[in-house]
Amino acid sequence: MTETYLRGTDLRRTFGDVTALAGVSIEIPAGSVVALVGPNGSGKTTLLRILSRLLSPTDGSVTYEGPPAVRPLGYLPQAPAFRPGFTAAETAAFYARLVDDDPTELLERVGLGGVPDRPVEGLSGGMTRLLGIAQSLAGDPPVLALDEPASGLDPTMSRRVFDIVEALSDDGHAVVVTSHDLPLVERAADRIVVLDRGAVVAADTPEGLRERTGGPLYETFTALVDTDDEVATRTEATR
Amino acid sequence: MTGGFDAFWAVFAREVRGAVRSRTALLLTFVTTLVVLGLARAGSGPSAGYVPTVVDVLLVVEVLVPAVAFAVGYRAIADEAVRGTLDVLATYPLSPWTYVLGVYAGRAVVLLVVVLSPLAILGSLVAVSAGPATTVFAAHRGVDSPLLFVRFGALTAAFALSTLAMAVAVSALADSRRRAILLALAGLLVVVVGADLSVVRALTGGVGIELDTLVALSPASAYRGLVFETVLSVAYAERSGFVSVSAAVVSLVAWGLCSVVVASLAVRARRA
Repeated sequence: MTETYLRGTDLRRTFGDVTALAGVSIEIPAGSVVALVGPNGSGKTTLLRILSRLLSPTDGSVTYEGPPAVRPLGYLPQAPAFRPGFTAAETAAFYARLVDDDPTELLERVGLGGVPDRPVEGLSGGMTRLLGIAQSLAGDPPVLALDEPASGLDPTMSRRVFDIVEALSDDGHAVVVTSHDLPLVERAADRIVVLDRGAVVAADTPEGLRERTGGPLYETFTALVDTDDEVATRTEATR
Repeated sequence: MTGGFDAFWAVFAREVRGAVRSRTALLLTFVTTLVVLGLARAGSGPSAGYVPTVVDVLLVVEVLVPAVAFAVGYRAIADEAVRGTLDVLATYPLSPWTYVLGVYAGRAVVLLVVVLSPLAILGSLVAVSAGPATTVFAAHRGVDSPLLFVRFGALTAAFALSTLAMAVAVSALADSRRRAILLALAGLLVVVVGADLSVVRALTGGVGIELDTLVALSPASAYRGLVFETVLSVAYAERSGFVSVSAAVVSLVAWGLCSVVVASLAVRARRA
């Protein structure tokens, strides 16, 4: 049985009167990619930030069960931004120094080994995202939390980002990723958790989700997040 | 495994390197130098000696130093929060205290260069333009000395470091660049006039504290009082009694330390 590295139990989060997350339980196993999908405002980023311990849950708990590590979890924000005036190599060196890692190797792992001297202001959107992934890998954290790593990227760069995500899980990392790119999620994820209005409406393998409608993943996704009543019923059933 | 000092040094080095590459520090140094030298020249202090020069520039330095300190520090942490860097750093073995100290120390180096460079130039100007009486070390009251000017520089540095800590605290409390600007302006007003007004108000209300101690509670008054007590006092036959020296020193240190603590707690509060 695959070892679980990160576990969230009965996670609930409210912002004033708004319930962003309502009793979500989730496991992130080693050597796998867990994708969080759902419409805008469904609670994906809230869940990811809670799992990353960047946000406290109103109720519930997050436990790290992976191996001892200098940095147990690496995090890529939705829109990574870096301090201007520094090159890619200097930026990587700053984060690497915090965990005694090799910045050159970090850049090479994400394919930025050829542009170490380029200022971060001169990096394209995709390269900035790759530098963000390099940062998230510093210290070789067993768990990686990536918030929409392919958002706003062209198809080639998106595929490249998800290739890296797959390679990370092949290396034994536990990866949890949010995304709107269903074809790429379908290809890279071992398990897909569908969120709607702060609740899990389905959690299955890509094949399992596809079989629900017999069509592409998009059809299942649309059916799952379509109506209020359906969502409520499925929320109780999939908890 | 990396240690706390390595993490501190990484943050510190990044701050210094960032400032060296930015033109802001250079511009601030240039403007500060122009203002200080222009003022001293207008007052003819340099040709009269070190103490007259301090008298010429003290009032403006008292306002200029906090302004420069806030300019150097008000975005130090706010920018990192806006960029999402604080979230990212929360996943590293970097405590809020280490991070804030690294940021503060890095900006402090920059600020000291901005503030002390004009004073060093001014001191050199006095050395070449004042009479021979200014070159001796003061052993008794009434004697001018370069040592007094060095003391003025040291006190100005202490005042600058104290107000920089306040600027960094304000920066840590801001959640946007716009709010950072507003909080910085408010903080500057508090340092330059607000605290003094509070002291005056307390005096009129009769709080039962000695005047020289009460005056020391405001950072600007504490600085001003220390300059009067330890630099300009040579011009007075009797002890001036403007401020309690020990209370003023404690005040500047306390404002600085409390501000660093506030900044660290604010950074910690952003984490889960």
